[in-house]
Amino acid sequence: MSRQKKIRKSKWLVNIVLAVICLIWTIPTLGLLVSSFRPAADILSTGWWNILPHREWKTTEQIQLPKETDLKGSIVVNGVTFTDDQLREGVVADGERLIWENRRARLVMVQEKEWTIISNFTTQNYETVLGGKTYSITMPDGTTKTEKGSGMSRSFWNTIAVTIPATVIPIFIASFAAYAFAWLRFPGRKTLFVIVIALLVVPLQVALIPILRDYTSLGLNGTYFGIWLAHTAFGLPLITYFMYTSISQLPKDLFESAFMDGATNFTIFSKLILPLSVPALASISIFQFLWVWNDYLVSLIFLGSQPEVQVLSMNIANMVGSRGNDWHLLTAAAFVSMLMPLAVFFALQKYFVRGMLGGSVKG
Amino acid sequence: MSTRKTKKAMTTFILMLVLAMAITACGGKSNNNKNEPTANPGKGNEGGTNNSSDSALAKAMNGDFKGKKVTMFGPFTDADEVKFNESIKAFEEKTGIDIAYEGSKEFEATISVRVNGNNAPDIADFPQPGLLSGFAKAGKVIDIKSFLSDDYLNKQYNASWLDMGTMPGAGGDIMAGVWARSSVKSLVWYNKKAFAEAGYTVPKTWAELMKLTDDIAKDGDPAWSIGIESGTATGWPATDWMEDIMLRTTTPENYDKWVSGELPFTDPVVKNAAEKMAEIWFNADYVYGGRKSIATTSFGDAVKPLFDNPPKAWLHRQAGFITSFFPEGLTADDYDWFPFPSIDEKYGTPALISGDIYAMFNDRPEVRAVMEFFTTGDSLKTWIQTGGVTAPMNDADPSWYPNDQERRMAEFVKTADTIRFDGSDLMPGAVGAGTFWKGMTDWVSGTVDLDTALKEIQTGWKK
Repeated sequence: MSRQKKIRKSKWLVNIVLAVICLIWTIPTLGLLVSSFRPAADILSTGWWNILPHREWKTTEQIQLPKETDLKGSIVVNGVTFTDDQLREGVVADGERLIWENRRARLVMVQEKEWTIISNFTTQNYETVLGGKTYSITMPDGTTKTEKGSGMSRSFWNTIAVTIPATVIPIFIASFAAYAFAWLRFPGRKTLFVIVIALLVVPLQVALIPILRDYTSLGLNGTYFGIWLAHTAFGLPLITYFMYTSISQLPKDLFESAFMDGATNFTIFSKLILPLSVPALASISIFQFLWVWNDYLVSLIFLGSQPEVQVLSMNIANMVGSRGNDWHLLTAAAFVSMLMPLAVFFALQKYFVRGMLGGSVKG
Repeated sequence: MSTRKTKKAMTTFILMLVLAMAITACGGKSNNNKNEPTANPGKGNEGGTNNSSDSALAKAMNGDFKGKKVTMFGPFTDADEVKFNESIKAFEEKTGIDIAYEGSKEFEATISVRVNGNNAPDIADFPQPGLLSGFAKAGKVIDIKSFLSDDYLNKQYNASWLDMGTMPGAGGDIMAGVWARSSVKSLVWYNKKAFAEAGYTVPKTWAELMKLTDDIAKDGDPAWSIGIESGTATGWPATDWMEDIMLRTTTPENYDKWVSGELPFTDPVVKNAAEKMAEIWFNADYVYGGRKSIATTSFGDAVKPLFDNPPKAWLHRQAGFITSFFPEGLTADDYDWFPFPSIDEKYGTPALISGDIYAMFNDRPEVRAVMEFFTTGDSLKTWIQTGGVTAPMNDADPSWYPNDQERRMAEFVKTADTIRFDGSDLMPGAVGAGTFWKGMTDWVSGTVDLDTALKEIQTGWKK
């Protein structure tokens, strides 16, 4: 009885710690979400947390000092003497604050703290990001023409065209390979496997220029096929290793009995291994999908940013303009680009929880 | 038995690791070795002359290159990309050449990978001539003079532009590119209406400028709004100030030496310039928000206090492109600029400029035609009319500029006694886009004193 209580208590503790960690983890995202609904000028002047009720100095009264007041000397406000520095910082007395409203006009504010909340929100950021910006251009004949930018829709579909094959192809190949490494006996198996593992430590950056040269001579540059190939190659070592650990953990008896019953390797793979590895497949799909979806470097090198093939990450980076003047659009753009990975995650998430192996083999 | 097996596995693993490393090493090596030039700069030297009948541009206008595609890669994105595409549209329609422009925020990093990976674009657009000079030296860039005559180039550009475009190539000096979009940097912006209301006048000399700064402080406002924050490039506006003051406190020759590394940052001449800058920057009464806010204010937001009502600050030194950061709804009646005033009469009022140089990597007739087109003011016309760009070409008509302010910028560059290119863009990346930015930021934020900062900047040259 008391032991059970203890367990329950420790469970509570774990849950609370987890909840706190989750909260800390999501706060930046929350801030981003709030900022994405605020006008750019507001983001500059106040923090996003000001949407919560808070106390702020509000002007209740203004005091006009004589115009000839010397800022370098002592400044008399309501019979009390202050220095310029004090009035710049603000002097607090009896819950009231004295601060310059306009030094040039020698205007001083008397402020009191009041509860406020910021409620100035806009969907302009999202409208611009999704619908495209408008640029006004003066034509040679002197007329002004407004040009509408393309928004994110095109690069969204481009990214899907890149990501889905770049997730499916490597997982498909790697599952075959993992099965072979785990259950087939063939000469050089260990050596080959070690090569695959060793490739995990090779950073993909070292391969960029050599592969780019090959791609240039093969004409694969800037094509979807090229980038599928690149992502497949870069993803294979990890996925193979990941699938290997999962497939090699499956109970041996299962395959032996299947083999006894005359199943071929392919039957075993498709009828037993694949269904049993669904949780592993789902989790590695999420990994690979997220990696490809968020990738910037590989697409930058092999795909480029021509509008016909440009992916989301590049579109978003370019959206801020040559000199970064439209930085406020990043917040909204980040959320739009997050939608797809979130959808994939929630769609596949149940496989994490539901283990298909439950009860198939004893102990 | 089992230990032997593990040992064997271990050996294989180590062998594999060595193999992997060897592969990696080979990759790096082949990079350096295979630097064979993509095209021989001297090879295509049949043309040389530029008579209107046989020039590539004339042929293109005839429709000789219809359906041909020219790829172009550069740092214009978003609004700049739209404006660029708009200004070449008429040319594309007339000639049937498709100029496929690709803009990337990571241009500087990507262009090296592309060129080394034999995937150079036909034309690349460099905002930093320093970066281009590396490719010119490696013999990867086509000499413009191989198809455009000296006479023609002299007609299109002032001598100082052509000098800046001349770079050492694999075999002697070459004209590494043609100048397109440019921007004047030595400008001090102010709020025209508020300035007139307050009764201030435009200063002509440094003394007058300091007097004005002090008057504004006495009236109760900080005169200057300064911000140098720019993400990973934080510090660049400070380098612009240094360059402008350098040009006004020492000879142009010293400036050139400084840019090429012969005059070290630790030299009293450089220190003197920095101290001049500190007269304004580190006076709490002169800078909006004081010294501590300079390093944390974004350069694009720094101009905004000028247009608050009432203005929170009065002066802002920045290049012509800053108009795109002005608060929305501002018209040309609301703002104006004056040249950053002369400090020492001897050196007058020089113009610090920056610009984009278009370099050619593949020699094909249609690429020549496009390059020739870029030497004409027409290639920038729409952009000039839309605003935010100054044309370096002589045949750009002053009437194209949308307002007086921009027209005067072009005039300023044309008439300035000394024109110099932004020094930090000419220095090698380790200095110009490295220690120079960082050292200035450290000094301004008060982390280190001036001498330490200058020493720190100088270490960049050793890298």
